[in-house]
Amino acid sequence: MALLPTNPQWRGLVLLAIIIVVLGVLPWTVNNYWLRIATGALMWAGLACSWNMLGGYAGYINFGQSAFFGLGAYVTAFLMGDPFGLPFSATIPAGMVVTALFAVIIGAPTLRLRGAYFAIATWAFAEVLIQFASAMDFTGGIGGIGLPPYLNERFFYFAMFGTAALAYFLTWALFERSRFGLKVKALRDHEPAAEAMGINTALVKLQTFVLSAVTASVFGAIFAYWVTFINPKSVFGGDITDQMVVMVLLGGLGTLWGPAIGGVGLFVVNRLIWMYWGDTAFYIAILGTAIVLVVLFLPNGIAGLFARRKNDALDKVMDKLVGTGAGGHP
Amino acid sequence: MDLFLQTLLNGLLIGGVIATFTIAFQLAFGVLHVIDFAVGGWVVLGGYLGYYITAWLGLDGFIAIPLAFVLFGTLGYLIGPVLYNVRNSRTARPELMALALSFGLFTLLRGGMLTAWGFNTRNVTTTLSGESLAIGPITVPLIRVVAAAFAAAIAGGLFLFLYRTRYGLAIRATAENRHNAALMGVNIGRLSANVYGLYAGITAMAGVLMGAIYSVNPEVGLRYTLFAFFVAVLAGLGSVEGALVAALLLGVIEAFVSTYVGASYSLLAIFTTLFLVLLVSPRGILRRGL
Repeated sequence: MALLPTNPQWRGLVLLAIIIVVLGVLPWTVNNYWLRIATGALMWAGLACSWNMLGGYAGYINFGQSAFFGLGAYVTAFLMGDPFGLPFSATIPAGMVVTALFAVIIGAPTLRLRGAYFAIATWAFAEVLIQFASAMDFTGGIGGIGLPPYLNERFFYFAMFGTAALAYFLTWALFERSRFGLKVKALRDHEPAAEAMGINTALVKLQTFVLSAVTASVFGAIFAYWVTFINPKSVFGGDITDQMVVMVLLGGLGTLWGPAIGGVGLFVVNRLIWMYWGDTAFYIAILGTAIVLVVLFLPNGIAGLFARRKNDALDKVMDKLVGTGAGGHP
Repeated sequence: MDLFLQTLLNGLLIGGVIATFTIAFQLAFGVLHVIDFAVGGWVVLGGYLGYYITAWLGLDGFIAIPLAFVLFGTLGYLIGPVLYNVRNSRTARPELMALALSFGLFTLLRGGMLTAWGFNTRNVTTTLSGESLAIGPITVPLIRVVAAAFAAAIAGGLFLFLYRTRYGLAIRATAENRHNAALMGVNIGRLSANVYGLYAGITAMAGVLMGAIYSVNPEVGLRYTLFAFFVAVLAGLGSVEGALVAALLLGVIEAFVSTYVGASYSLLAIFTTLFLVLLVSPRGILRRGL
């Protein structure tokens, strides 16, 4: 570490620059097989980031995030298909608008409910979409829809990379460095108190929810074009949400880099298991074990291991100021 | 008309079996304040126990019912304190962490069962399988009638326990107001472990019945978790009496959609109803929720 500057801010910037350079030259140094794995890892890091916006920063567990991933994928597949034949770049904004619309319709009523009801409502919504997409003709039913193939692995790598980078930048700018982020964190820690401070909690929650949903939909759109074939299970499936939840919990709820650590780590484990055993049932058991162990022994995630000292100090100050017990010493 | 009556009766019988574990689910929520995602996992575990009793020992599937209660009740009794500790821990968001833990347990159960037993569907066979009962113009499979009778006995026993014993009073008091119950000398931690054990045991018993009526594989757990959530939302979370009504309603809705619209639409109908109820009346149509 002697090579790195001692000032933590500069060290962070240097590390970030190194990561960007490494990710930037990666497509020219590895073969297509590993490039696809890297593309997938970036996608999952970005999806985990999208889940973390609402789950980590606002404290609302969304068990239906795959609904928005799938909406993005289906809108792209549908608009690129036969009667429309739109170019890929035009389908992404369309998917974002459709997703935002759904997010407002779902979020406006259910975000007013207690967290548990919200979790059930989002889960039910995602399952409705699976059933709906399986039963309808225009979505191709259980068989799904194909997309025009575009065999350029580097394009998809950079599309995922750019979107993930944007998602992390937005998280940093909005949740870590702005008044909006303070409002979101305030309502997470004590909603009635935040409301008493004059924060329009319903609006702030809805904005966060829409941002989280739209981010997931962009990844869905790129994913659909990348894999050139989607069906209800592959883009709406509950396993997609499961993985996002585990990645964020593992990395660290409500931290900036936690989802990236959890997302990349878990996806690589997933691929390794698939390579050596080719058995996905085993992976589900590992996911479950990971959630249980993290909740019991590492509630702040991997990122929490590094930031522990700082958080403790912050918690103590918060306790003295408001005495909410949010820091663990009521 | 015959078809209508037959569908109604079938729905009520299935609804009765669903009622047993959803009542227990509501009880567990009332005491622990955790929405247990693992509920479907317990149902499937019970179904597999019934299957192995018949496949390995050649016994009637119904013999697995008391065994399921003892076995999975004990397992639940061991897991209960863990859930309780997480729910009442002093981490930043105990509610969220407990929800995540139950979700992790469910995923672990599902993955473990898929790894151990694969995706194949198993049947719990009993001496009654395949026989049917004719009541006037309508016929129903005998197994459903017997399963519903077992379910009624289990639910009846649970209600007697809750309303006629001192310990049942303590459970109801805790569900109503845990602080006051604690002040009256109820050991909330131990009671929570017992209730979770009771709930896991009852749910596994219902699982044996479900396995005898339909069949069982690790993936159907999700369906039963959905049923429990549906009933909880309709009745209002934590409402035990409402769960009975809501479960019967669920059985009837499912039967009618399957018969008149198509079996592939039944889940869609259930989810849509669940979703609309949440939007219109979030505390349950009976307005008893916590």
